[in-house]
Amino acid sequence: MLLSLAELMGALPRTDDACENDVLEPAVSVRTGPIPIGRWRRLHLLGMLPAQIFAAYLFYWLRGWLHDAERKEQLLVETHWRVALQLLDSMGYLRGAVMKVGQTLANFPDIVPQGFVETLESLHFSAPPMHWSLLREMVHGELGDDPDHIFASFNKRAFSAASLGQVHQATLPCGKKVAVKIQYPAIARSVQDDFRNLLLLLLPARLGGDWENIKNQLDDLRRRIERESNYLLEARTLIAARSLFRDDDGIVIPRVYRQHSTRRVLTMERLEGVHLPEFLVADPSQDVRDAYGRKIVRVCCRLLYAGRLLYGDVHPGNFIFMKDGRLGVIDFGFAMPMDEALWALFWKLEPAMAGGRREDRIAAVKLWNGIGDDPADADRLQLCDEFTEWIWQPRSQAVAFDFGNEGEFRRGIKIFLSMMSNRYTRAQPCTPTMARQEFGLRSMLYRLKSRVDVAAIVNEEAAAAGKSSAGGAATGQSLN
Amino acid sequence: MRVTAENKAATRRRILLTARRLFSARGFETVSTRDIAESADIATGTLFNYFPTKEALLACLVSAAMDESQRDFRRHPIEAESAEEELFAFIAAGLRALKPLRKHLTFVFQTWIKPPTDSPDEVTRTVRVSHLETVRQIAAKHNLPEPSPAALHLFWMLHIGVLAFWSNDGSPKQQDTVALLDDSLSMFVGWLQQHPEAGAQRP
Repeated sequence: MLLSLAELMGALPRTDDACENDVLEPAVSVRTGPIPIGRWRRLHLLGMLPAQIFAAYLFYWLRGWLHDAERKEQLLVETHWRVALQLLDSMGYLRGAVMKVGQTLANFPDIVPQGFVETLESLHFSAPPMHWSLLREMVHGELGDDPDHIFASFNKRAFSAASLGQVHQATLPCGKKVAVKIQYPAIARSVQDDFRNLLLLLLPARLGGDWENIKNQLDDLRRRIERESNYLLEARTLIAARSLFRDDDGIVIPRVYRQHSTRRVLTMERLEGVHLPEFLVADPSQDVRDAYGRKIVRVCCRLLYAGRLLYGDVHPGNFIFMKDGRLGVIDFGFAMPMDEALWALFWKLEPAMAGGRREDRIAAVKLWNGIGDDPADADRLQLCDEFTEWIWQPRSQAVAFDFGNEGEFRRGIKIFLSMMSNRYTRAQPCTPTMARQEFGLRSMLYRLKSRVDVAAIVNEEAAAAGKSSAGGAATGQSLN
Repeated sequence: MRVTAENKAATRRRILLTARRLFSARGFETVSTRDIAESADIATGTLFNYFPTKEALLACLVSAAMDESQRDFRRHPIEAESAEEELFAFIAAGLRALKPLRKHLTFVFQTWIKPPTDSPDEVTRTVRVSHLETVRQIAAKHNLPEPSPAALHLFWMLHIGVLAFWSNDGSPKQQDTVALLDDSLSMFVGWLQQHPEAGAQRP
């Protein structure tokens, strides 16, 4: 049972200290309101968030002086929970770009406590409160009539939240069951405001050497989220992606109903099934887990090799485990077409990925992260290489990779955290999108405990797309 | 020839329909009273017997559209889960009715902002009273404190503010207005709930 935020917050152990109440009150009071569209109001809310988190942890630290270690551990858990709820609270309200950050965070089970991740998961599924009257106006404005008149049936209650809107079940006059994604009003502009605000909040980072790079990465992310706010582009990507899969792949991309779709309303075939957490409750067999793991990897590979698309939105909310064993993929707003330059760069790196030779990998890391031969960059190079090795490991080994290996999963997170704490963020502008895909993929397969022969799938997909990938022989390129 | 009340009403209706068509097609500022009279097939002087100014004619069109939308809203009540939702539906119905006149609304705000006692025409006064009565009924339906006259005046001003924003809204499909309206109503209802002194408590 998914509790409401108010119920969760109410269930937390309370304290008599006034300071903690002060920390929690503002978020509670703004929780249920509509989207704040004024840039300065959004900046205020966004700026308030780190302050609240900081205050919650400060409170924990102060209380820690007065308690023994066991109690301290308990308090830490409580603080994690409070912060998690608070973050969820604010993100659910601000939506847009900030919710994207929340979804990304949910893919890092070791950066944040498990309770935090489970709570954040509700971001993927819980319905935000765009009430019926507002929703009706949005549909009327986009499709020219009320949903009651356009659809044979339309469920007034949203069954899923998207980062920029909410999704409703409906039936077309022809009887087809569909999912209708409706964008929040003015969300495209609020996403732009979020990014401008984020740049303001990051002002101190301008003094750092990597500022230009960070800015380029943020710009790339902003462009992708702005692109996501145009559902016609997503419809086009869905149609292209759907054409890449055959029935025997066991992978389903929903059909788009163009006459019921606009820039802000997207009507798609409704896929029946469950999301990852519900799927895992049934404790599926290892074979079933492996089969789904292979399908998830194949989705990413097929889109990459045959469609030149990076699927940047790998998270549990976007995959449907269908009763007949098929896998549904439902959200393509964040899918990123690779331009010629990136495509060429990818194929330059491919031999290093496939071969697994350290020297090839080092050369690839230097190229991707813009690292020269300066001895001062030695630590950066080493950490980036470790991280790349972790990412490419499933790809370069010839047997099935056990994604459920907890130690291996945590190792990658640890390296990533070291990179972040050392501010080794310089890389290609599309890196955040690729990192989203990679961490999302690893996180989902880790939770599925799948064992997948990644190299075999990659080789099949590359060969089918007319590219031989084994050792990069077909490309004839070497990084050294 | 004696002009009957029936004829008068028909002429008045013809002037209004013609004016609405011309304003929508060519804009308020470029259409003159002479254009309207010619299109309605009456003398310009006759038009002034019905409407003293072009602005009065527009105000009447706006009031008539609002009046119609209010009646329609009461005829088809919605099952709203909150006062915000129902108020939103109420105002949104008005926006739909006013859509053909959206860009010309700025010319009538002056009339609407005046206190009801100073309002020059009966129709505008009636529309305002009827509008705020609906707001009062919605508040009662959702167990909000009964809005005081000051709170209702605030709502009227808020409503005019939203209309003013809407008339100049350049966002696609005027979705900024939709968000603003949602935000404004949430603020109003929240204010009413948190400041019961703004309304007389219900018995």
